[in-house]
Amino acid sequence: MGTYVIRRLLQMIPVILGATFLIFTMVFALPGDPLAGKCGERPCPPAYAAAFREKYNLNDPLPIQYGKYVGNLAQGDFGETTNGIKVIDQLKARYPITAKLALMALAFEAIVGITVGVFTGIKKGGFLDNLVLISTLVVISIPVFVVGGLSQYFLGVKLGLFPVTVTSANPSFYQLMLPAMVLGSISLAYISRLTRTSLVENLRSDYVRTATAKGLRRRRSIGLHALRNSLIPVVTFIGFDFGFLLGGAIVTEAIFNIPGVGGYLFRSIRARDGASVVGTVTVLVIVFLFVNLLVDLLYGLLDPRISHD
Amino acid sequence: MTTTQDTTTPKEKTSGVTYTPEDGLLLEVEDLYVEFHTPDGIATAINGVSFDLHQGESLAILGESGSGKSVTAQAIMGILDMPPAVIPGGHIRYCGQDLLSMPEDQRRRTRGPEVSMIFQDALSSLNPVFPVGWQIAEMFRMHRGVNKSDALQQAIRLMERVQIPAARDRVKAYPHQFSGGMRQRIMIAMAIALDPAVLIADEPTTALDVTVQAQIMALLEELQQERQMGLILITHDLGVVADVADRIAVMYAGRFVEKADVVELYSAPAHPYTRGLLESIPRLDQKGQTLAAIGGLPPNLMRIPPGCPFNPRCRRAEDVCRRDRPELREVVPGRLAACHFAEEVINA
Ligand SMILES: Nc1ncnc2c1ncn2[C@@H]1O[C@H](COP(=O)(O)OP(=O)(O)OP(=O)(O)O)[C@@H](O)[C@H]1O
Ligand code: SF4
Ligand SMILES: [Mg+2]
Repeated sequence: MGTYVIRRLLQMIPVILGATFLIFTMVFALPGDPLAGKCGERPCPPAYAAAFREKYNLNDPLPIQYGKYVGNLAQGDFGETTNGIKVIDQLKARYPITAKLALMALAFEAIVGITVGVFTGIKKGGFLDNLVLISTLVVISIPVFVVGGLSQYFLGVKLGLFPVTVTSANPSFYQLMLPAMVLGSISLAYISRLTRTSLVENLRSDYVRTATAKGLRRRRSIGLHALRNSLIPVVTFIGFDFGFLLGGAIVTEAIFNIPGVGGYLFRSIRARDGASVVGTVTVLVIVFLFVNLLVDLLYGLLDPRISHD
Repeated sequence: MTTTQDTTTPKEKTSGVTYTPEDGLLLEVEDLYVEFHTPDGIATAINGVSFDLHQGESLAILGESGSGKSVTAQAIMGILDMPPAVIPGGHIRYCGQDLLSMPEDQRRRTRGPEVSMIFQDALSSLNPVFPVGWQIAEMFRMHRGVNKSDALQQAIRLMERVQIPAARDRVKAYPHQFSGGMRQRIMIAMAIALDPAVLIADEPTTALDVTVQAQIMALLEELQQERQMGLILITHDLGVVADVADRIAVMYAGRFVEKADVVELYSAPAHPYTRGLLESIPRLDQKGQTLAAIGGLPPNLMRIPPGCPFNPRCRRAEDVCRRDRPELREVVPGRLAACHFAEEVINA
């Protein structure tokens, strides 16, 4: 187990290097001059341009630029935005908001998804089952901005149940509720169907038959023996989804005006702010890899047949 | 009676219902029918089966795949999936009480303390995510309200009783960490945990090596004699159960076609199907002979042929076999067979 974790951590290094190199190259290859528009309508003064090029090593060939960047990165320096703000400070302000939104979306999709999946799985083919089957199909096939816009209009504007958009730099639980539900809706649909399928399959299994033959109550046979096994793929999915959610939700954050990393990344790309883009993506990649490692470890705990050694 | 748990807990039945066998009669199955209602039609899997089981008695149920052995066992345990299964007729009485008309909660409480079952594939029949000791201990906890640590101690004693080496160290291990034979011993430990009066073993050794098969059968025999259980041994291989079983019921297409004492049946089968099954067993004293398997396939249970269900495959079949259904009847004292020509078969 310990050696497994160390091996996995070492494996992360080439992945992080590869990912940052790719994103670095892509930002570098973006058409246009990074200085364009920096100084209003006019071209930038030569002295400013020279300082700018020096600061971001723009005169070096790409591999050297990258090497210098990674060198700084290894010392914990994620660089500065073109406005001279440290990228890491930008992320420190925004990441907690994204993480809060992600956790709320995750809790929503997990609790509702599993509950719905269990009830439809037990009463397979019933009215509720068919209703859920159709509505999950609808949710999965509609783009997020449509779901977001519609729920904003009906639940926010028409019914006034939720704030329509986020208005503070540090949004409250209540303000994030509707965005979290929108953000979690697609995974919610997947989770409920995955739970249902997995439960139906496990209810047919030999060990559930054994549980019945042991004289256990039906509630225990289903709620403990079958469900414990059914949740293995579900919890794994939820774990991976957490990794994605922590990457920031560009569309949802944009719709609800949430100052999270998704929106920040989006604006940085639009502004050709190379340092911000590369720095943010690097952080996201590292977070994603760590969450994945945690999910794999969790999977080993959930399923004793998996051994990490 | 020696049991593994009588040193700490008296045998108590939380159900409040006591079952006492009269004259040692544990189980009476009477004219049982089981149908499966499927989209393709109704399959009659069990077609009027009757038998008794007494304390200390071993009954083997022998038959080809699909003959209805497992369905019979599951009907007795009450673990058939209903639907698709329907029991349109018959009785299953345990100590005189009809299990089929019993309220479900009362019946549930008989599973484990009164009637218990072990299955063919112990790997899939044990829950993969719980330790084996926990799964055995669950019997004591759920049926008798024993606390976790006491239940686990009782589980360890049971694992020792079924001869699992280093039971104390392995009580927290998971099913996949055991060999096939050890897993089946764990199934057995779980099934006998509450000292049931009836134990049903559905092909308990089919998935195992020949040497392990013999060990498991020996263990079952030992436990049965120690506890005077009524044992139902389901098999498609007579050779495996011949040493343990007292009586044999031969099943074909959901019916018993022959019932006899095991030695008598071995020496002189009274039904052509039984004869065919016996001829397909490899015998040590006749090396090199080819096995005479029964030609053809069992009937489709949705369209069982008129007359004798075995007639399309029977070498002896005559016109009467295609017309009249032979009833299970006494051929010679103590021997029952369902064949128009049973007297000739038994003397052949
Ligand atoms: N759930 C079910 N739905 C439909 N038919 C079923 C179902 N379970 C069993 N049957 C049918 O009932 C018949 C008897 O099955 P059973 O499992 O009792 O056979 P068996 O004698 O135990 O055979 P095997 O040696 O293969 O275990 C088979 O023809 C089978 O197709
Ligand atoms: S009744 Fe006829 S067909 Fe049936 S087993 Fe006897 S001889 Fe064969
Ligand atoms: Mg079977």
